[in-house]
Amino acid sequence: MSGMKRIGLTIDGSKVEAFEGTNVLRAAEQAGIAIPHFCYHPGLEVEGSCRMCLVEIEGLPKLELSCSTVVREGMVVRTATERVRQARRDVLEFLLAEHPLDCPICDKAGECRLQDYYDRYGPYAARMLEARERREKKAPIGRNLILDRERCVLCTRCVRFLRQVTKTGELGVFERGVRSEVGIFDGAPVDNAYSGNLVDICPVGAITAGDFRFKTRAWFLERKPSVCPHCGRGCAITVESIKGYPMANGTRRVFRITARENTAVNGFWICDLGRDGRHDIDDGRVTGLMKKGLPAPGLSWTKALAEVAAAVRAVPGPGRAAEIAVVLNSRMTCEELALAKGLFVASLGLSKVFFADRKPGDADGLLLTADRVPNGRGALAAGFAPRLPAPGELTSVRLLLMFGSQLTEDFAGETIVPALAAIPSRFLFAAHSGPLDRLADTVFPVAVPAEKSGAYINFEGIRQAFCRAVEPPPGVVPEGDIIAFLAHSLGLNPGDPDAC
Amino acid sequence: MVENEVRLLPDDDGSWRLEAYLRQGGYQAARKALTAMAPEAVVAEVCGAVIRGRGGAGFPAGRKWGFIPKDATRPKYLCVNADEGEPGTFKDRLILLRSPHALLEGMLIAAFGVGIRTAFIYLRGEYAGLAARLEEAIAEARAAGYLGPRVLGTEFGLDVVVHPGAGAYICGEETALLESVEGRRGQPRVKPPFPATVGLFRSPTVINNVETLAAVPGIIAHGASWFLGRGLPTDGGTRLFGVSGAVRRPGVYELAVGTPLRTIIEVHAGGPPVGRSIKAVVPGGLSAPILLPEELDVAMDVDSLAKAGSMLGSAGIVVIPDGTPMLDVLQVTARFYAHESCGKCTPCRIGTSWIFKTVDRIRSAGGGPEDLDLILRLADGIRGRTLCPFGEGAALPIRALVTKFRDELEQAVAR
Repeated sequence: MSGMKRIGLTIDGSKVEAFEGTNVLRAAEQAGIAIPHFCYHPGLEVEGSCRMCLVEIEGLPKLELSCSTVVREGMVVRTATERVRQARRDVLEFLLAEHPLDCPICDKAGECRLQDYYDRYGPYAARMLEARERREKKAPIGRNLILDRERCVLCTRCVRFLRQVTKTGELGVFERGVRSEVGIFDGAPVDNAYSGNLVDICPVGAITAGDFRFKTRAWFLERKPSVCPHCGRGCAITVESIKGYPMANGTRRVFRITARENTAVNGFWICDLGRDGRHDIDDGRVTGLMKKGLPAPGLSWTKALAEVAAAVRAVPGPGRAAEIAVVLNSRMTCEELALAKGLFVASLGLSKVFFADRKPGDADGLLLTADRVPNGRGALAAGFAPRLPAPGELTSVRLLLMFGSQLTEDFAGETIVPALAAIPSRFLFAAHSGPLDRLADTVFPVAVPAEKSGAYINFEGIRQAFCRAVEPPPGVVPEGDIIAFLAHSLGLNPGDPDAC
Repeated sequence: MVENEVRLLPDDDGSWRLEAYLRQGGYQAARKALTAMAPEAVVAEVCGAVIRGRGGAGFPAGRKWGFIPKDATRPKYLCVNADEGEPGTFKDRLILLRSPHALLEGMLIAAFGVGIRTAFIYLRGEYAGLAARLEEAIAEARAAGYLGPRVLGTEFGLDVVVHPGAGAYICGEETALLESVEGRRGQPRVKPPFPATVGLFRSPTVINNVETLAAVPGIIAHGASWFLGRGLPTDGGTRLFGVSGAVRRPGVYELAVGTPLRTIIEVHAGGPPVGRSIKAVVPGGLSAPILLPEELDVAMDVDSLAKAGSMLGSAGIVVIPDGTPMLDVLQVTARFYAHESCGKCTPCRIGTSWIFKTVDRIRSAGGGPEDLDLILRLADGIRGRTLCPFGEGAALPIRALVTKFRDELEQAVAR
């Protein structure tokens, strides 16, 4: 960006600068002046159809679109004159005239542009005496997507997203004039791995997600940024969860994961795999310590970890290298991997430190990478050469520490189960219940990435730090804390946690 | 007809054929342009003729051609707007029917001047019956070497494709026309970029009306000053005025630009039938704000009509006789725009529908002055705020009807 020319212009009396080629809407936004809009989206081509972003530009007789007008040196823009405000009121009045005003039952309520703008440019009395157009209110248009055609403002963000981004083009506008409607073509619903973005970009309550409808209200949700752990890209996400009132066991905490803008990594979008990551946070979790696959309510963390430390001490010094094995994973943060490196390799001198991860899949050419882990590069940066244990490498082992349950993904049950069963001491640190639970002496519940703070290095080498986006359930801790505790119990210094 | 331009509108029925066109000196202008003139000279000549677009916008055609970038790396296209959909307009139809070769020759000259090798004729869906004749004329021209890879033995070649529309008024708007030719939903694009730089298939594109192009051979054959002399210095040539409604001789009249509206109606079209009088006149297609009988001395050229608060538009004149309920005229007008609004932009999509619903309600159930005020406010919410000129085209005539016939309308809806 440094090579790009900066253009000076005046917006509402303030001198501002913007890069050459920026449109007036973005330039104003960067200067802290919000221009209302429905159809414009920075990730899509300009449509210019909602007419909400009209502004005055000195020297031009008509109001001009701020979304399609590119900044020019010396341009004078006014976004708050009575003429501009009247135009916005008129556009809003037109949209609301044909809007069902069913906010009390609308999932978008609280984060809807129609509401926000009416709040800003209203109030005024309704003047339309005529009957509104009646349209279908719950059209299933594809995976997890419900379209309410009465709420639609025809901004065509959804249509354009499917044409310009996924290039699948499942949606179109049908009919003409006030009868215009968004719809799918005969028998071909929206079916692509990025469909959830349609819900994010719909500026009103027209497209809602089947798994979010009527489940909560937008104003109950706490929105925290995080980095998606489901592939090597590390897309910017917002984790939207509920906290603050007591929840029964199994209650939904994370109501949705939405895309967050990061032009260097994912632009404006995330894939449905990442969006469905809310299940990874809420479902199938190990919530307490377990012994031999059964809850151990009387067992304390201190006592359980003391058992691990004792098991380590039980293996005499020279034999450790070959007799203690550790399985790590590439979902651990850089900081956790550095601690692991310090404790297991540098301090304890172990040679059998392996990695077991989710199996790679296919890259989709858009965002999803073949790697299905977020920190493969981080593992390399921490000084590991990640590999699975070879069959036979576990046979002479007396103590096994497993971080994550991914061993069963890479080995058939009949291979791995007897191999593990032959190891005298086995400890599992896992976020989710799995087939290894029964094989472990003790299962320790650990945090998922959204419950951690740390950093990942994505497949392109971009290091991204993130903070805890959602509180872990009581008694669930990050692997890093466990490793640090173990080191402390053993009287060892695991090293600088910022090593990678 | 006075000042009749025989090559433009020959009368006898077989005259649309190439043979007849050639007998009257057809394709001589194209020959002159292609063999004796530089492309820039052709554009300069048409610029000098100040021929203003006959489709409705009135933009000088020569200047439009001049906007095409000289150093374009992409192919350039010519699109003929034969989507004659403006209510009250039927002049291009006559050219396509009687003198298709005049259009083809004009296209040839335009294409040579701008450096275009492929042209499309976007034919109004309702004119499907004319497609066969147009195709046959193109075949005749191709067989005789006036179209095809080496026109008149020169290095210049031109291919012409007839593209039928599907009946949407909005496709007469130039960018919606381009979308339609590209096979997409016919809806206007945001401008800029203008078609001259980013047009058909994202390439530089000239879009001209049928009548505009059909007048080009005359300009090249006789020169810009000849053409200017036939009209006004700011608006050259003759135009085809279509007169319909309450006149004794409805039809298409080719007259000098600047001829007074009253002369066209009273002298050429014979005035209203015996015993009737004129209540109002739409001077340039439905989108042109209506004129009252005392406003008919206006000269029929782009600037004079604009000064009079209306628009020359497509020069389709509709004469409304006494006794016509203006509430009906308002209802028909509002219905047309609500029906034809493409729906892409908010003010037009909802505004035109809202206006129509309101007019319809007060017409059937009665209403008061506040309803007429609302219609004016809605029209103001549309004009100047829409994506394409359709918004003005809908708002201005509705405004004019409500303002100029306010008393009558108030009485008509009072219950």
